[in-house]
Amino acid sequence: MADILQASQTSPAADLDYHRLVDVDNGWIDRRIFWDEGIYQLELERIFARCWAFVGHESQFADPGDFVTTYIGQDAVIAAKDRHGNVNVFLNSCSHRGNRVCFAEAGNTRRFTCNFHGWAFGLDGGLLGAHEEEHYANCATFDKSKLGLHRARVGIYKGLVFATFDAEAPSLDAYLGDYRYYLDVLLDNDAGGTEFIEGNVKSRLGCNWKFAAENFVGDAYHAGWTHASAAAAIFKKDVKVNVERSYQANVNGHGTEFGLDLIGNAMGLAEPEVVEYLKENEARFAERLGKLRSRMVGGMSSSNVFPNLAYLTGFNTWRTWTPKGPHEIELHTWVLVNKDMPERLKEAYRRGVSRTFSPTGMFESDDGENWEHCTRSNAGVVTRRQKLHYGLGMDSRIEHEEFPGAIHKVQLNDANQRAFYQRWADLMSAASWAEVPER
Amino acid sequence: MSVNTLESPAAGARQASLQLFHDVQQLLYKDARLLDEQRYDDWFELMTEDFRFWVPVPQSRYRRDSKGIYEHGRMAHFDDSLTELKLRASRWKEATAWSEDPPTRHVHYVTNIEVEPTETAGEWLVRSVVISLRNRNEDEENWLGARREDLVRETSAGLKLAGRKVFVTQSVLMAKNFNTFL
Repeated sequence: MADILQASQTSPAADLDYHRLVDVDNGWIDRRIFWDEGIYQLELERIFARCWAFVGHESQFADPGDFVTTYIGQDAVIAAKDRHGNVNVFLNSCSHRGNRVCFAEAGNTRRFTCNFHGWAFGLDGGLLGAHEEEHYANCATFDKSKLGLHRARVGIYKGLVFATFDAEAPSLDAYLGDYRYYLDVLLDNDAGGTEFIEGNVKSRLGCNWKFAAENFVGDAYHAGWTHASAAAAIFKKDVKVNVERSYQANVNGHGTEFGLDLIGNAMGLAEPEVVEYLKENEARFAERLGKLRSRMVGGMSSSNVFPNLAYLTGFNTWRTWTPKGPHEIELHTWVLVNKDMPERLKEAYRRGVSRTFSPTGMFESDDGENWEHCTRSNAGVVTRRQKLHYGLGMDSRIEHEEFPGAIHKVQLNDANQRAFYQRWADLMSAASWAEVPER
Repeated sequence: MSVNTLESPAAGARQASLQLFHDVQQLLYKDARLLDEQRYDDWFELMTEDFRFWVPVPQSRYRRDSKGIYEHGRMAHFDDSLTELKLRASRWKEATAWSEDPPTRHVHYVTNIEVEPTETAGEWLVRSVVISLRNRNEDEENWLGARREDLVRETSAGLKLAGRKVFVTQSVLMAKNFNTFL
């Protein structure tokens, strides 16, 4: 049994040299990492079953019994708030025959009852009872205290709920580390805290999950070309990056590329009230975040929290790239707003994000096209042998008196992408968390 | 365009005449064809200035749930005024709209048309089913089916669309994008 469960330890993918596949010192990446099934299966084990995964925002769990269903890697999970006010995360798979126990994407309930034999589980995943339970009266192994749904560790950072199935993983605070400085730009610019607007938009893309993640962690370069048509329609002009006052920052594979222009991204919403709000509140943001960070609140930027949670300041879209195989992802997008913001501003964000960063949106529809074909081209064996160039900004590292993490000058840079793949290779090479270095 | 919407005295209530039904049907077919041909400026001519376009994202919820499958105020595929729809479409006219070149090949299939009176004289609730078939590049194909509820208004310029709600069946849009209207 244990041998079968540990089969991947002997799979060829476990023996690959991941620091050669992603040669971050020279800026070359082997395309097999975007295509190979064996590598993907190892990612599920060594990335997704190990790292802290985003499962929701606290505002989605207002009342006891509130739940959402989502995925950590390809593991279906339920996140539910119990009577004590805790959010629990556990597998959405019955401990009896493995059937899914919850088919709704969200709702409020007292229990999750399996359709197959009526086994019922509580808001903490514990087994409450079963249909005609008396049949088990003489079954020594029917111990309800041991038949609950397998639970994950849960951590919350300023409203964001994360979970991990790895008992050895560092605490969520340690996992996010100094990257929390950048997260606070959106999560802590207002005393009232944040909330998600209700609902989300979900779509499927035929791409490897890393193309989406690397795009948000540090690809400012694509914006001017890929999104030229959206920029022309909304801004009536090209968008240029500020070479002197823009940066990339990364910590343990998390990364953000950003300018200090306050409104660069927010202008893209085509909602003038949002831009006014940012300008009017700049001084108030600065009281909480300091002068420099206050200039990031709506500025030109994109970010990705390792492995697959991304967001954009200004647009306030948050999204997850959930893998559905080596060549497919499911994209979920939400909108984050300050709780104390006027309702009409929340509405402006809601409708603005739909118009820009959703599958119908003016920016997003071009991204999917790129990522799908970056993935599909690798079906060709000769194509797959050609390494990809990630060499922009090799000498751009600087020291900065305020910004934590590894800082690179100019947001047009491959530095964050190299850092993302370095973290990826660290995790793929490591047999346990103890072997994963701090970057 | 004829606007024959005489009340039916025999029935004692307003009913769509055969002529009105025919006119509505022709309006919806034209609407579909203009989208297939990507003639968005002409498509916008079918709408009144106060046109609202709402395409909610359906949620998979239990029947006992007090919240519905489709609700206002949630994230939506579209929740736009006519001006905002025009802004979206203006992108497609740019030579740099890379994912529109070569163009997507569209078919909008419209069926199951019903015309019902509303509380307001001269306005009709028109239900229909629309299926969008898209094919792109070599082999990319996407289907999306939806029920529609249109508000059709009689104006001096003929029948116009004054509002449209589109209830798609897919909770997860099984495509990388949605680059047309419904």
